[in-house]
Amino acid sequence: MQDFLFSGWGAFWVTLFMLMPFAAMLAYIVYRKSVFDTGPGTTPVKTLSKMEGIWLTFVFVFFVGINLGSLKYMPYIAEARAATSGLPLQEIDVTAKSWGYEMSSRQVEAGRPVRFSGRSVDTQHGFAVYHPDGRMLFTMLLMDGLKQPTTVVHTFKEPGTYKVRCLEYCGIAHHVMLDELTVVKSN
Amino acid sequence: MSIASTLVHNTPIFGKMFSVDKSTGLEDINAWPALMIMASFIWLAVAGLLGIVMPVTQIFDLNTDWFYTTLTLHGAALAFPFGFQLMVGVGLHRSGGCVGKPVTGIFPALTFITMNLGAAILTVAVLMGFKVSLVVMFPLPLVGAQMGIWSMTTVIVGFTGIYLVLASMILFYPILVLKMLFFGKKQPELVLSERSLNDPGMLGMVLAALTLLVAGTPLVVVGTTLLLALYGVIPMAMAAWAAKPIVFQYSFYIFAHNMMEAMALMVTSAMYATLPLYLADGTRKLFSNKLANLALWILLLTSVTSFLHHFITFYPNQPSALSYWGNIMSWGTGIGAALSIFTVFATIWQHGLRAEPGIIAVLIAWALYILDGASAVVTSNIAWAYVLHGTMWQSGHTMTVILAMALMWMGVLYHHYPVMTGRKLDPTVGWWFVWLFTVGSFGAALSMLAGGAAGMPRRFAAWNQEGWMIYGNLTLFFGLILGAAFVVYAYSLLKSRDLSVAVGRQPVAA
Ligand SMILES: [Cu+2]
Repeated sequence: MQDFLFSGWGAFWVTLFMLMPFAAMLAYIVYRKSVFDTGPGTTPVKTLSKMEGIWLTFVFVFFVGINLGSLKYMPYIAEARAATSGLPLQEIDVTAKSWGYEMSSRQVEAGRPVRFSGRSVDTQHGFAVYHPDGRMLFTMLLMDGLKQPTTVVHTFKEPGTYKVRCLEYCGIAHHVMLDELTVVKSN
Repeated sequence: MSIASTLVHNTPIFGKMFSVDKSTGLEDINAWPALMIMASFIWLAVAGLLGIVMPVTQIFDLNTDWFYTTLTLHGAALAFPFGFQLMVGVGLHRSGGCVGKPVTGIFPALTFITMNLGAAILTVAVLMGFKVSLVVMFPLPLVGAQMGIWSMTTVIVGFTGIYLVLASMILFYPILVLKMLFFGKKQPELVLSERSLNDPGMLGMVLAALTLLVAGTPLVVVGTTLLLALYGVIPMAMAAWAAKPIVFQYSFYIFAHNMMEAMALMVTSAMYATLPLYLADGTRKLFSNKLANLALWILLLTSVTSFLHHFITFYPNQPSALSYWGNIMSWGTGIGAALSIFTVFATIWQHGLRAEPGIIAVLIAWALYILDGASAVVTSNIAWAYVLHGTMWQSGHTMTVILAMALMWMGVLYHHYPVMTGRKLDPTVGWWFVWLFTVGSFGAALSMLAGGAAGMPRRFAAWNQEGWMIYGNLTLFFGLILGAAFVVYAYSLLKSRDLSVAVGRQPVAA
């Protein structure tokens, strides 16, 4: 459930969860107060103030809840966890150049954390890894002229062929900047 | 007669929609705004046609160069000479009438000329091959020239155009607003609906102008350095720091992010100003001005540093602490939105509403803006940023904010149009516009967000994989409905009638 919530589609449903009740309430209030009963409202100001308090508390709790729930999925936390797990880190160095990648390896083991360290040698590029089922797992932003690489630590769960795509517009052949990773069963 | 009125008067078709009423003595607050609004609609027509080209190149598998050319032109035309210029035009007319100061002199002229000339020059550069996307995402265009993707001449032409557009937005417009609001003598005959600067409907104008000026300054410095080097005034080596991708990207997003926030401040503020005019009981007051202003201040304070969310996936080059800060500040803007939601609901609840196309357009635009805000805070969360950054989600967010703004100002224009032109609009046609726009904009926004959720990349000329085409087709479908809405709007402006002639359905004489 939590895994789904912090995926791309999870983001979509959370956005709808914020939109739908609001849109319904707006439609109801506008209809009611412009067609059905246009007279001044008789709700005491005190009641409205109380509702305001409840509304703001709900928003605050919801916002804090979402942001606390997401902590576990932040790659920074994954990196810290990998460092303390005792499992040896698999390292992959990525160099992006218009329009392709050089990688120190294209094969990793499932279940063991991998650190991707990416650089660009010309312009801005991305490095996004897609699950075989089409989901995007993560993306990195690569720029040239920097001292340190951009990094992500990720642990692949299932073996398979994972697509790599550039997600930062980098010129006329941006869409053919593709690569692949093979995730194998751990031995 | 002012130059601006003459220009509007002599423009075919579009001029007819906006020709200014000279009998009222209000030309000083009408002429430049009318010219700017007219020009923004010309850009909209261009941008709309280009918008259709993008999915069409994908559906028919055409040359991908066309995709990137239209991507750059469509985005740039919608964001700047359409969206921003429409806001400037309506906003200036409105503030002129609120504080009784004329919109005349050198600054309106400079704002207008730099915006439109700059956008035209940029268009020429793009047609010459300068395909940098609307955010000059290819850092730097110089690299493109070095790689032989486009020529150095196109870079110089393109940068000149971009620079002029930025000068309009960052310098001339904010200076004009601040000059109007804080200096000069009030002319009582220009006051249409007096407002003080503490009024939520006016406060947003000031905050937005200050935001543009302050947040844009670093980009102006970087841009000026680059332009001087491109023109050979200073050696390229002296501009090397400004050409660093990281310098360019951060200064760009400090501006671009805050420009969007400035537009959001203006949108909220315009809604606060317009809603009271349509309350059924004639109170002309918001539920609470204090609460309304608090929302604007929260929006301003939280938004200034939330631009850091653009670089979350850049770790550790952007330290995680800064990304967290950007994450939390972005969600903080949501608290401001929650306050404004309560203010609007309580205001309508207590005072009733006179539903007319203009105010309903304003309210729907505001709802679209809330959807946009929800999509924005979601993708500013660090965990979601890693799965949404660089996807259609971001395009959906950007397009939605521009559409929300456009609809908001088109709704506000319903209110000001009779004063500006001495003509009124047919409400039946107005309702058609409102419903078409609602279906088109919410449909297109949700289709693009869904594409992003499915991992569909943005600015990417290969939609035909992983089942992404469906989101492209849906976006095209709703985009065409949006196009129809704009055509209906233009039709209603063309068919506007003299104020003395009754409009709408007339009772049939027996
Ligand atoms: Cu690339």
